[in-house]
Amino acid sequence: MPRIDAHLHVFTKVTPEFPREVTPICPAEREESAEKLLDVMEKNQIDQAVLVQIGGTSIEHHSYLLHCLNSYPDRFLGIGVVPINHPNPTDHMSALADGTSIIGFRLFELGGPRDIFETKDVRDIQAYHIWKCAAEKDYVLWLYPRSIDAHLLPYLIQEFPQVRVVLNHLGMTPGRGKFSLDELGRPQIQVSGYNLNMHTTYRLARYENVSVHLSGQYAFSKQDYPYKDLAGWHHNLLNDFGVKRLMWATDFPWILEEPGYGELTTVIEELLPHLSESELADIMGGNAKRILRFPNRNT
Amino acid sequence: MIRPTPEQKRQWEEEGYLVFENAIQGDDLKRLQSAFDYWAAECKDEWLDRVEAGEAAATFYDIPNPLEKDTIFIDIIDHPSYYGALMEFTEDDVILLGPQVRTVAPFPVSYTGWHPDVGKDNPLHIKVQIYVGDVPTNGGEFGFVPGSHKPDSGPYKRPLLQESMPGHKTFPGKAGTAIMFNSCGWHASMDNATNEPRKSIILIYEKRTPGRIGPEQFAAISGHCKTSERRRLFSLPDLTS
Repeated sequence: MPRIDAHLHVFTKVTPEFPREVTPICPAEREESAEKLLDVMEKNQIDQAVLVQIGGTSIEHHSYLLHCLNSYPDRFLGIGVVPINHPNPTDHMSALADGTSIIGFRLFELGGPRDIFETKDVRDIQAYHIWKCAAEKDYVLWLYPRSIDAHLLPYLIQEFPQVRVVLNHLGMTPGRGKFSLDELGRPQIQVSGYNLNMHTTYRLARYENVSVHLSGQYAFSKQDYPYKDLAGWHHNLLNDFGVKRLMWATDFPWILEEPGYGELTTVIEELLPHLSESELADIMGGNAKRILRFPNRNT
Repeated sequence: MIRPTPEQKRQWEEEGYLVFENAIQGDDLKRLQSAFDYWAAECKDEWLDRVEAGEAAATFYDIPNPLEKDTIFIDIIDHPSYYGALMEFTEDDVILLGPQVRTVAPFPVSYTGWHPDVGKDNPLHIKVQIYVGDVPTNGGEFGFVPGSHKPDSGPYKRPLLQESMPGHKTFPGKAGTAIMFNSCGWHASMDNATNEPRKSIILIYEKRTPGRIGPEQFAAISGHCKTSERRRLFSLPDLTS
């Protein structure tokens, strides 16, 4: 069974060929290339990966992602980004995915009523047309929504049960003002000790088209690797979603320096030590291959 | 104080729950509904701000510090309809841990799956859920697995669908109904397929253990606790000491 890193980012320095936005986490001169990634993957016996767009939402900003997907078609699948306020999201999504290895799109917000008591008609949710397009064109939706949008998810999932939904980073939904970068330039998300997502995203387990990434531990944990304070969250996700709907990921490159890519290849064994060999293999790649329809790797 | 009947005691021991229909009624119920609705509306915007900040769940909210907001929320803590049962089951030594004055939004999925609150080695932990409005079937009503509180019961596993929990019983009820349950038993809020929120109050009690609740916990309402019994319930120092 292949070992697949189901969520990470690659990018180059800003160049005319590969334009991108410059942000504190991706300064203009920083480069984390596909070749660098492939090197650490090779050293750690990881076969394939999902490259998730970073550095902007426009078609041009996806240039490096598309370049990597074209260069290594048996190693990578891609996730693009579609802005919630795009005037014609269907065109944007088609332009990026038609004839490429982009299989889906990441959303950070859903654009619905902030008040759950005001949520009446799913078509009033701004992301409705993105979901509709995903349903029609069989795109995966890759979700890392804000906490204020978490209550909208079941309405969209019920409306479009054929859409494959992947909740990023332990199903967490960051709160406004809770994001920062640590001294190593890694994202940090301030969360409360009691996991509030038990009452929102974890409840989506009943929908069989919803899967969850076991990733991003470094951003939520108050401890160093192996992040034992998050073992309970992992157990709850395993209990609720089952072993067939969890996908391991590293969130490369943010973890390269601390704790290191190699360490993250064993984080699941550390946090879920009672998994059988075949269950671990499912989480480490089997599920991603099945759910995301990875091609076989050329030998 | 109304002590439980032998049949109620048997049911508590064997099944782990009791239902008190019309536990709160008449003017008490009107006072409770009025205070609940007023304060739920007052506190809603602050809750939404906390949801946005990732500090509160989006699917339900509790009125903060309800005991300090209206005396009806104090008066239901030792309401005679069920207080005698609380005393009986805790060998006349019960303490309040806290109230949750809770509005649960209509939502396609229940806000909480099946779970016990505490392990079976915990001191007796009792909850009383009071329906402030009518709670119909499929309206977010309380669900419980009778007998799941017993030491030799289980093991249990949370199912994907609320209604798939083996052996469970659901408790639709009229406003004023109180359901008392041993909270090491498996319980849940069922799905709410209506368009109405579920309004209820969950009172949390425990058999007293030293230091569990300090005298500062409920000091703000000390003035409303005039009797020795009520002061013991709220872990407040006796007025004569």
